[in-house]
Amino acid sequence: MAEQSNTGVLHLSTLLRLSGRLLWRDWRGGELRLLLLAMIMAVTSVTGIALFTDRLEQALLLESANMLAADRVLSGRQQAPEEWLEEARARGLQTAEFISFASMAFSDQDNTLVSAKAVSDAYPLRGNLLVADQPFTAGQEIVGGPGVGEAWVESRILPALDIAVGDAIYVGEAQLTVTRVIVQEPDRQQGNMLDNAGPRLLFNLADMPATNVIQTGSRVSYRYLFAGDQRTLTEYEEWFDTQANEGFRLRDVRDESQEVSEALNRAESFLMLGSLFAVLLAGVAIALTARRYSERHFDYAAILKTLGCTSAQVSAIYLLIQILVAVIAIVIGSVLGWAVHEMILLTLSSVIPISLPAAANTPYIIGALTAFICLLSFALPPLLALRDTSPLRVLRKDMDEQNLSARLPYIFGMGGALALVLWYSQDVFLTAVLVLAVAGTVAVLSLISWFLLRSGAAAGMHAGSAWKLAMSATRRRRKQSVLQVLVFSLTIMSLLTLTLLRTGLISDWQAQLPEDTPNHFLMNVSQSQVAGITEFFESRGIQANQFYPMATAGLVSVNGETPRRPWGDNEEGGRNLTERNTSEGADEQEEGGERRAGGNNRVINRQVTWVPDLPPDNTVVDGEWWYEDAQPGLVSVEADYASRLGVRTGDVLEFRVGAGELISVTVQNLRSVRWDNMQPNFFFIFSPGTMDFVGATYLSTALMAQEQKLFLNDLIRQFPTIVVLEIDALIEQIQSIIAQVTSAIELIAFLVLASGALVLLACVNATLDERFRENAILRTLGAGRKLILSSLVIEFAVIGLVAGIIATLGAEISLYYLQTEEFEQTFSPHYWVWLTGPLLGTLIIALLGVMATRRVVSTSPLIVLRTAV
Amino acid sequence: MIEIENLSKEVMTSEGLLRILKGINLRVEEAETVAIVGASGSGKSTLLGLMAGLDSATAGEVRLDGNNLSTMDEEARAILRGRLVGFVFQSFQLLPSLTALENVMIPIELKNDRHAREKAQILLERVGLADRAHHYPNQLSGGEQQRVAIARAFGSDAKILFADEPTGNLDTATGGKVIELLFALNREYGTTLVLVTHDERLASKCHRIIRLVAGEVAGEVAASTDAGADSAAALRETAHG
Repeated sequence: MAEQSNTGVLHLSTLLRLSGRLLWRDWRGGELRLLLLAMIMAVTSVTGIALFTDRLEQALLLESANMLAADRVLSGRQQAPEEWLEEARARGLQTAEFISFASMAFSDQDNTLVSAKAVSDAYPLRGNLLVADQPFTAGQEIVGGPGVGEAWVESRILPALDIAVGDAIYVGEAQLTVTRVIVQEPDRQQGNMLDNAGPRLLFNLADMPATNVIQTGSRVSYRYLFAGDQRTLTEYEEWFDTQANEGFRLRDVRDESQEVSEALNRAESFLMLGSLFAVLLAGVAIALTARRYSERHFDYAAILKTLGCTSAQVSAIYLLIQILVAVIAIVIGSVLGWAVHEMILLTLSSVIPISLPAAANTPYIIGALTAFICLLSFALPPLLALRDTSPLRVLRKDMDEQNLSARLPYIFGMGGALALVLWYSQDVFLTAVLVLAVAGTVAVLSLISWFLLRSGAAAGMHAGSAWKLAMSATRRRRKQSVLQVLVFSLTIMSLLTLTLLRTGLISDWQAQLPEDTPNHFLMNVSQSQVAGITEFFESRGIQANQFYPMATAGLVSVNGETPRRPWGDNEEGGRNLTERNTSEGADEQEEGGERRAGGNNRVINRQVTWVPDLPPDNTVVDGEWWYEDAQPGLVSVEADYASRLGVRTGDVLEFRVGAGELISVTVQNLRSVRWDNMQPNFFFIFSPGTMDFVGATYLSTALMAQEQKLFLNDLIRQFPTIVVLEIDALIEQIQSIIAQVTSAIELIAFLVLASGALVLLACVNATLDERFRENAILRTLGAGRKLILSSLVIEFAVIGLVAGIIATLGAEISLYYLQTEEFEQTFSPHYWVWLTGPLLGTLIIALLGVMATRRVVSTSPLIVLRTAV
Repeated sequence: MIEIENLSKEVMTSEGLLRILKGINLRVEEAETVAIVGASGSGKSTLLGLMAGLDSATAGEVRLDGNNLSTMDEEARAILRGRLVGFVFQSFQLLPSLTALENVMIPIELKNDRHAREKAQILLERVGLADRAHHYPNQLSGGEQQRVAIARAFGSDAKILFADEPTGNLDTATGGKVIELLFALNREYGTTLVLVTHDERLASKCHRIIRLVAGEVAGEVAASTDAGADSAAALRETAHG
């Protein structure tokens, strides 16, 4: 009839037509829906998270760059060689510079201490100044800094000097005119804290020589700002490291602010972990649905083969179907991912600037690649098994389930998953740890669930018949049940881990900087001023906080021996806010010199205090605090520092204090300290009385709202010798970053929850066919609907319970690892989860299972038996 | 058209070696109709599978239209099936997610024929299901499904048609109609027909009846001299060979 004949080669158009038709019909029949849904979920979550992370990173980078007014800052106590700046400019970086120093400023009427800052014309490179024309009013953004002859001042200076905008102000020997009021300065808190004490006075670098402030020995710091693209900056950093740069530091915001860097690091870890979980769960869903799909298609493949399809053609048809599915999933997933991330940005518009530059294309590429890797590793193995289907299947209906290797798909899946992990994390070590963890977990889980199901079956033999039916079902399908428990428990475990981690992180951050965090440090307070300052605050309705006596103490020996050096020389220096505020006041240059001269035997100087009560945010981890019976001669050491020094409770430490006196103290206890709470923290706290003979200055804090800041003028006029550090801007910045990061984490947790739900659904669905057949037979044999339904409930509930128990166990173990190793938090068991985990597992799985298999009971057994042949 | 020499099939089971077919010799001429009958387990379905190239033999040879199946791999056999062979099965074996028309189109499309739709439509008209073309298998009765399967079998321009219990899942009346249709089409197309059946009525419509007992040809009957006649057959016992 026709000249065409089957040559074993299908035209592409024929192939496309056949695949397209099968795809479309399968879609209509609902066969492909879950598979497609799982793939869309994978693409959506990956693309959405990648897009969001991209934009968030830009926002955070922008925000943190604002904190520096630049991308990198070079700082030193002396002028940097001009060629360093020329090199930067030659490489295409923008540069700016400023000199900051504490100085008296004068008007014709009065004088006050200011923190002066002479800036070049390009300042600031990142972020903008907020300025106003009148003091104590809202500001407007302005590009650039003050012009030559101008002075921009913080509001507080005007009443202190009894002048107004437009009047003259004197800095050193220079006369400037106040032209604007500074409302906000991007890098207000950067640099030496003592240089920043007092209200800001900003003027042009060109006026600096006229002030004649810089003389030999004067305390001045130089800062050079750089901005440009990331790669050039990194290259410049590498170049800078090859220079003789003693006494200078080139830093980014993470070096500058440990508080910010910690929040950023944790958020990044969490986001990565979250997207990993999301992808892995979606991958499992893909594997499960693909397997079910291919099982249903063994007959198809056999029929196609009897009609003359070769194995290669069967493979081609199914491969094409999968690629079509993947392409559809990529298109829909990319759009959804984009929508999801836009939605998040919209809800976060109060904390993230809307005008962010658009995300790069990489998130879409990442999403698409994820879909293909998932397809290759999870979906392809079971589908390729179709090619080996024997055509004899059409004759022998009872032929054994295709010899689809039970392990092969999982090996492929694991391989693909690991490739994804490696690709996302770019971290071989983390990947290796994960491999071992997952392999171990799977082995242990299989064993545990096998045993639990076995014993459950044995125990159930004496119970009612629905129970017996359910137990015999789990036993009959033991291999499948174990797989189900495995998938369920891994899913629930991921969800529990992420939820608990999220809760831990967020409460941790909230505890770090609560709303009422004191935002001003009072330093250099003498004992005679303590009562007066307390009264000053209380009369103005401001809470006066504890005053810490403070002095420098040098650790000379531990148990008579020279102490270990706790950190490398480069990391030495201010380890916490308290010390950055004070000991950094010791000239970096001189310190450096001393370090070189003293070598390893240099005495470690620390700011210490002595108080009767344990300061807030401190927890004794070893030994006991001195409460009532405070004796002189005891010391409390920060735990981490103690372990670096090799110090334990009961050890005897010798310190050089005051004018060179040696004191000997016994370690009474070790404390853990929240270093990131922006409050006075100390490595060493002595018991009261130990240091009474040493002349101490006092340190305290206060919480002052924006409108109370004017009191500072009165405070400084009344107590001229004290130094007030204003860290309110810094705290606000950190709080805003944390708010952003918190929202991000909430969202990722939600996405993972969605993926998890999908996996659970896919897993239940994977066993539908067999259930249909079994229950149809049971019903023809006279089993009632009620019996079958309750046996289904029991079967799923038992599987859910076992999965819940295992998941809780697994979640606690992984939380222990993650919190102690990855997130540097303290771990404590979540006892309530021990109850809710298994309970939730039971409820959710039973509900999902019964909902998905309700059709099993409601379909006529005749139809099932007829179609199931 | 079909030549079988000394064909054996053995499988390993938990109870040891099972010999399903023991040295079968058979010859089927072009346009001949042959029924293979026998009790359950006599090996008739296995013989059909081997003849059609769905399975490979332990020993012996099968030649379809001069092509030696035992020297071909599954890929080559698939191509040969597509070119030469059509099937009708007891359980119809239609793809459930495709419509009647699309099921009939598959073998035609596998020959890269651009007129698959038209040809399939004509075949469906021939089996009296033109108005059911866009129904799915589960919307058709058993008899209708088998008629779709017959249309599909003839759609591939097959020279040889294998039928495995084509009436096994149908009631007597429906089965009768399907048989008539099958033989009528067979005459029209001049196809060689080999069928496996329990149905004496169906078997008696064939030129020859071959009886299998425990994997061996136990007897051969010339059922009817003129195919389609319903006359009783004269028995002619012969030694197999």
